[in-house]
Amino acid sequence: MARPAVILVGADKGGVGKTTVARTLIDYFGAHQTPTRAFDTESPRGTLKRFHPELTEVVDVTSVSDQMKIFDTLGSADAKVTVIDVRAGLLSSTLQALTDIGFLESAKKGQITFAVFHILGPSIASLEEIAETARVVGDANYFLVKNFVNNTTFFEWDPATYNSYFKKIKGAEEITIPKLNEMAYEQVEVASVPFVSFVGNKGAKGEAANYSFVLRGYVRHWLGNVWGEYDKVKLVDLVSPKMESNVRQVAG
Amino acid sequence: MSFLNSVTIVASPRPRVGKTLLARLLTDFQRHENRAVSAFDVNSGERTLSQFLPEQTIAANIRDVNGQMALFDRLVAGDGTAKIVDLGYDSYDSFVALAHQIDFVEEARRRSIAVAMLFMVTPDQTSVAAYRSLRHRFTQALLVPVHNEILGSSQHRDKYPVAAVGAPSVRLPVLAPGLRKYIDNPPFSFAGPDMGNAVDIPVDAHIELQRWLRRIYLEFREVGLRLLLADLQTSMRGSGP
Repeated sequence: MARPAVILVGADKGGVGKTTVARTLIDYFGAHQTPTRAFDTESPRGTLKRFHPELTEVVDVTSVSDQMKIFDTLGSADAKVTVIDVRAGLLSSTLQALTDIGFLESAKKGQITFAVFHILGPSIASLEEIAETARVVGDANYFLVKNFVNNTTFFEWDPATYNSYFKKIKGAEEITIPKLNEMAYEQVEVASVPFVSFVGNKGAKGEAANYSFVLRGYVRHWLGNVWGEYDKVKLVDLVSPKMESNVRQVAG
Repeated sequence: MSFLNSVTIVASPRPRVGKTLLARLLTDFQRHENRAVSAFDVNSGERTLSQFLPEQTIAANIRDVNGQMALFDRLVAGDGTAKIVDLGYDSYDSFVALAHQIDFVEEARRRSIAVAMLFMVTPDQTSVAAYRSLRHRFTQALLVPVHNEILGSSQHRDKYPVAAVGAPSVRLPVLAPGLRKYIDNPPFSFAGPDMGNAVDIPVDAHIELQRWLRRIYLEFREVGLRLLLADLQTSMRGSGP
């Protein structure tokens, strides 16, 4: 039996696309038939829940009862992958809480697979989070996610700045989320459905929808590229080592 | 699938090779065959398809997403209409890239819409490479090289291989000198009263134009049959053991 996996998606900065990345992860694991559940820490309303209501529960990650709801159920839940969309500003404190409850120690012992998707913003402050987060994350699988959905640049024009942050974290892997056409992105927002449902022209309850073929094409192409990034870092093998991975393309 | 529910793209990365003339002829051929037809004009400049056939043609552009949606969402609407796209050389690269990116041909086939590409051949390397790229990218479309005889003989035929033995190529015959002036001033329709009741075209010229049209329409019928045949072959393969 595969050990439970927890994926923390977060950043201390707001508006960098955490929920977008969490949504692509849930779609990705769904396409690989990997049972997944999600926790949305945008308490009380929730953002992720709007797109994946069946899989998502809104929690207050700073409250002990909700921490119990997430972490005490890791072994017993049907879902083997738990995605936690951490609200802006709570990444450091969440990691600290995980240290305090011994979760990171369990991950170190190999009882739990733990990965952090650190979504980066374009500012130096955001880059400075990397070193701080890496120190706490320790032996976890640490992914630095450059999200270009918002047309962000990451100091590639200045190699010294870039290298001083991106290259100094040993073991961290980079993931690049390419830009999605603005109108396509907005239409998925308006539809409030998972990306795969939008691509498949389906509504929130699986009913036939009438989204633009062009916009669906843009989303399909983009999602395929995002999943290509996840394939590149062997994400399915990471969370579910014994499961065969045979999904490599977004379904049409 | 056949011309009844189809998208035919008339294309070339080169200007002034006869794309719009072919698109006009194909549009009027569909009208002549009593098929519902919509034409889309992705061109800028003078003497465009929408100027020649304003009632059948929608001006389109793919520079922004709204324009792309207006064009491609219409093309994949399964409304039993023969659709024709006159693709200007300056939009060629972006159209092909977008169609490939959004899986246009695959989506059309899922909706039982046949896609044919009529490619105006010229001997230059740009066109040869573009044709090769279309063959590679759009394997489910019927790619048909078009030899416009006014551009010279078909000695570069070997540079434009057809998809299979017996697959069609279209020959656009040269219009006799002196007749061009009757058809080159927009608006003008080969299927409408411009031709049928033409009082300003001399009888001899009218007969010659009709003869020219019949030769081209014969070529189009061959393409229509090929679309039908390709569909039958696909169905037979699908229902095999």
